[in-house]
Amino acid sequence: MRYHRPNLDVLAHTILIIGALIFMLPVVLAVLASTQTPGALFSGTLPLWFGGSGLEHYLTLLSEPVRGVGVPAWQLMLNSLLMALGIAIGKLVFAILAAYALVFFRFPFRRCCFWLIFVTLMLPIEVRIVPTYGVVADLGLLDSYPGLVLPLIASATATFLFRQFFMTLPPELMEAARVDGAGPWRFFIDILLPLSRTNIAALFVIMFIYGWNQYLWPLVAMSSADHATVVMSLKRLTISMDGTPPWHLATAMTVLALLPPVVVIVLMQRWFIKGLVDTEK
Amino acid sequence: MARLELRRLRKRYSGSTDVLHDIDLSIDDGEMIVVVGPSGCGKSTLLRMVAGLEAISSGELVIDGECVNDQEPAERDIAMVFQNYALYPHMSVFDNLAYSLKNRGTPKAEIAQRVEATAQLLDIGALLERKPRQLSGGQRQRVAMGRAVIRKPRVFLFDEPLSNLDASLRVQMRQEIRALQQRLNITSLYVTHDQTEAMTMADRLVVMNAGRVEQVGTPMALFRKPATRFVAGFIGSPAMNFLTFSVNTLPDWLPRVPAETNEPLKGELSVGIRPEHIALTTLEDGHIEGCIELVEPLGSESLVHVRIGGHDARLVVRHGGMELPEVGQVTGLNFQGPFHLFDRHGQRLSTRLRLADTNCSMES
Repeated sequence: MRYHRPNLDVLAHTILIIGALIFMLPVVLAVLASTQTPGALFSGTLPLWFGGSGLEHYLTLLSEPVRGVGVPAWQLMLNSLLMALGIAIGKLVFAILAAYALVFFRFPFRRCCFWLIFVTLMLPIEVRIVPTYGVVADLGLLDSYPGLVLPLIASATATFLFRQFFMTLPPELMEAARVDGAGPWRFFIDILLPLSRTNIAALFVIMFIYGWNQYLWPLVAMSSADHATVVMSLKRLTISMDGTPPWHLATAMTVLALLPPVVVIVLMQRWFIKGLVDTEK
Repeated sequence: MARLELRRLRKRYSGSTDVLHDIDLSIDDGEMIVVVGPSGCGKSTLLRMVAGLEAISSGELVIDGECVNDQEPAERDIAMVFQNYALYPHMSVFDNLAYSLKNRGTPKAEIAQRVEATAQLLDIGALLERKPRQLSGGQRQRVAMGRAVIRKPRVFLFDEPLSNLDASLRVQMRQEIRALQQRLNITSLYVTHDQTEAMTMADRLVVMNAGRVEQVGTPMALFRKPATRFVAGFIGSPAMNFLTFSVNTLPDWLPRVPAETNEPLKGELSVGIRPEHIALTTLEDGHIEGCIELVEPLGSESLVHVRIGGHDARLVVRHGGMELPEVGQVTGLNFQGPFHLFDRHGQRLSTRLRLADTNCSMES
């Protein structure tokens, strides 16, 4: 239902524009700051227009080893990308299979399994980081890509969302497939996956950003520069011996760290919104 | 084409009582059996057991002499049309039709040819590229039929396939389904709660109530001689009227015939009279009198609802005249046979039991 009242439109737009400005401000400031010369940022006032350095700091970051980290920014971004993709794809694969089992199969302790998965929603990484570290260390996976991705590869949230979606599908769909001679695997591939496309896309976006933004786990488990991520490096960049953090580099790195999630969202925007809104299947 | 036999089929869900009790039924090659009953009577469960979607608790399901209890639905070589059609929403009509053939590894050329033939049979040739959501209810129904027909299955199962359609389309589709079933000569089991659908489509009817089969027979046999009060009330529209009498106070208008046994008739009797066997008449000529409560004109006839004071019952009368009786008017009612007599357990009185102190009995 839509209301058609001009005053309401004006009010709504005002609120939306204010909201957009508030959200945009830090991003704009970071972009502006990243183009300033190092000295300009220490004058005490924040410049509100582009500075004289242009893209110089970005090129520096991408070509030379980053201060405090030891590898160039492209290596950091690649690591982050691998981690984010690994986590997002892993979570989707595990979640959709787990939800498939929970909804379409009758096995002992099914409800119990569901609740066990559900309960893990209440345990964020920070709570279980010590035992997780122990396990990963015992497996000899510290400071490696598998060690970076594996502990974060299962998602109760995604499992739950897929379960909810599967439960909205009419059970006759599976029965029709059974009558048509499709086994459980065929049904999953031919019918369930195509129907979940938009949900998969929406969850991929969410999980990619979740993976990209991981901070604590890589910080704890990845000690060598070869496996450092962008988000980790932001903190290290600002630690400086002489007390003046290189803000021009830090803001440039922030903008770099921002780009891949933005690209993912822009590319998948249509599907993302469809997946969250679409109920008519 | 196949013969289908249900032998003492029983369904029990863990921790509860039986929902189906010893269902016996045998379906001939090419026969259309319609299972009819109120919701919750177990008819859908029965169908799903035949399909292989529900496990059989005990008893045997035999297709062409082979017990198929433990076979998967696809192995039983049956096809099913669902109430909500259950078309695959993301596939085109072509893919929906072709899916079962693909799963069987049918060569592509043959799939295309059979889809073509099926589409022609059901008049959906122009829709092959469309997705189910772009189809109307009737078109979806046809595609669902096509999906069942294309495989040339041994048995067709229908689970209330017309209940999602509007009234006029329902009439049309039921004729089409029946014609198609007869043309292809496929053994069919059809479940519905709609007695008109059941009467018009069935070779034989199975009336179910509370997990039991009440009666099996041709539509006309069930209409003429319902075995139980339940069947009598369920088959025929508008439903049969019932009046309850004690054997000692049976009215004179019930015809007497010679008793066949010496066993006395006891307790209460339900007398069933169809609406077409009651006539409105003057107060003097009537067997009984009542007050007209409601008149429903249908055009060629009207349904007149009459409240009978002494029995606290409401009778429905089929009134053929063009003049409508007035609501509130007191009228006489004249009963003509046949009368259907049921004992207090709802069973039809099959033998002519003796009325007290006479040699007479009631005809039933």
